[in-house]
Formats: sequence, C-alpha cells, structure tokens
Amino acid sequence: MILEILSIGLIVSACLALFLDEAVYSVAALAGTFLFTALIYALDGAVFVAIFQFAVGVGTLTILFLSGELLSEKPVSKTSPNKALALIAGGVVLSLPALFLSISGSTSAGVNISFGNGLWNLNGMDVILQGLVILTVALGIVIVLYEKRSGGQ
Amino acid sequence: MDFVILSLVMLALGIYGLLTNRDLLKVFISIELIAIAATLNFVTLSSAAGVGLGQAFLVLAFSTDTAVSAVILALLVIVSRKYGTGDIRQILKMESKDESEAEKQ
Repeated sequence: MILEILSIGLIVSACLALFLDEAVYSVAALAGTFLFTALIYALDGAVFVAIFQFAVGVGTLTILFLSGELLSEKPVSKTSPNKALALIAGGVVLSLPALFLSISGSTSAGVNISFGNGLWNLNGMDVILQGLVILTVALGIVIVLYEKRSGGQ
Repeated sequence: MDFVILSLVMLALGIYGLLTNRDLLKVFISIELIAIAATLNFVTLSSAAGVGLGQAFLVLAFSTDTAVSAVILALLVIVSRKYGTGDIRQILKMESKDESEAEKQ
C-alpha cells in the first residue's frame, strides 16, 4: 500500500514539476519527485542507492532553486488552483497503469521467466537496445552537423 | 504494482516535456525525469533479480547523472546571461538575427 501511494506521489510531483508555470514551484515539485524516488528505493531494499539519490537530489535542487529564481522569467499569469488540481488528477490517472497493469509473465520464448528478470538476465536484449539508442544519437548528430554545414554555405 | 510500467510512464512524461517545453529550465527538469526513469528501472530490476551489483553500478550512474546536470546547468547559465532569456524560440530568433546581421556586414 505504501509503495502504491509513493508511486502516485512520484507521478503527480513529476507532472507538477513539468507543467507548473512558476519556476520555483516547479523546482519544489521536482524536490518531491526526488524524495519519492529515494523512498521507493529504500522500500525496495536499495538503501544505499536511496541515500545517494537523496544526496544528489539535494545538491541539484540547491543549484536549481538559485538558477530558477535568478534566470527564469516571471510568468505573465499565476497557475490557477483549477490547473493545479487538474495536474494532480492527471498525475493520479497516469499512475493507474503502474498500479493495476503488469507486464510480468512468460515471454514469447516459452521460458517461464518474468519480464523484469528477463530484461536483467538476458543481457543480449539490453545490448541491442543500447546499440539502437547509440545509433539514433549518432544519426541525430550527423544530421545536425550536416544541416549546420549546409546552412552555413 | 509494476515498476517497469511506472518507469515507462516517467520516461514518457520526460520525453513529452522535452518535446513540448520551450523554457530551458523545464527542459532540464525533463532530462532529470528521464534519468529518474532509467535509474528506477535499474534499481527495481536488479532488486527483482537479487543482484546487488546493479546497485553498485547505479552509484556510478548517479555520478554521471550529476556531471551531466552540472554541465547542463552551466550551459543554461551561459545562454541565459548571453541572451537574457531562457526561451528556446527567442534564443533561436536572436541567433538567426545575429547571423543575418553578420552576413550583411
């Protein structure tokens, strides 16, 4: 039950961090995201990772508060309470799939192994996916450089 | 309760924010959300598999994430001080205006 509440809090705070207009409130919501993440790690048995996440989060947030206050422009209109409520409701709705759906089960290979274990144990799939990501990034860099060169001529 | 779906939702939120937001600070927050999604996936899968090594690797991932955050924040400060705004579209307009003025000269 606690994990479910933390998951809902994580998604809601992430939505608030992304969609609130004021920079300081966004950073405060991001602090909530870091906190919920650290708590989920701790409850999942990864206490050291939770401590690291908390320490890194505190450092990042300190800088972000300063830069958010100094560098960002003041929004024309403040976030209305209705919008904040809509964001919270949207976050709760977005967290529902994680609460009620599951992609664990037998894989198509016929081996009786859950998706999570498979993703961790069958490293070939992981390597292929990482290769695809690196190829996509390399392709993007080539396109950006080509556009820049052709635009300069 | 499935943490893989939770991290997928976080990843989707981060990518959506990365594609739709114009403010540099929000772009940075989106990148942080994507990093959180990746680490969440890593922790839960390593815990499910009972492999403690995953948590050790994750500490390294945190170091990388912090370095990336520092570089992004430094770039954010430089760009904001140079152009006086954090809006990507305004920065691009100013950049193209500067280039056209340089070509005229």
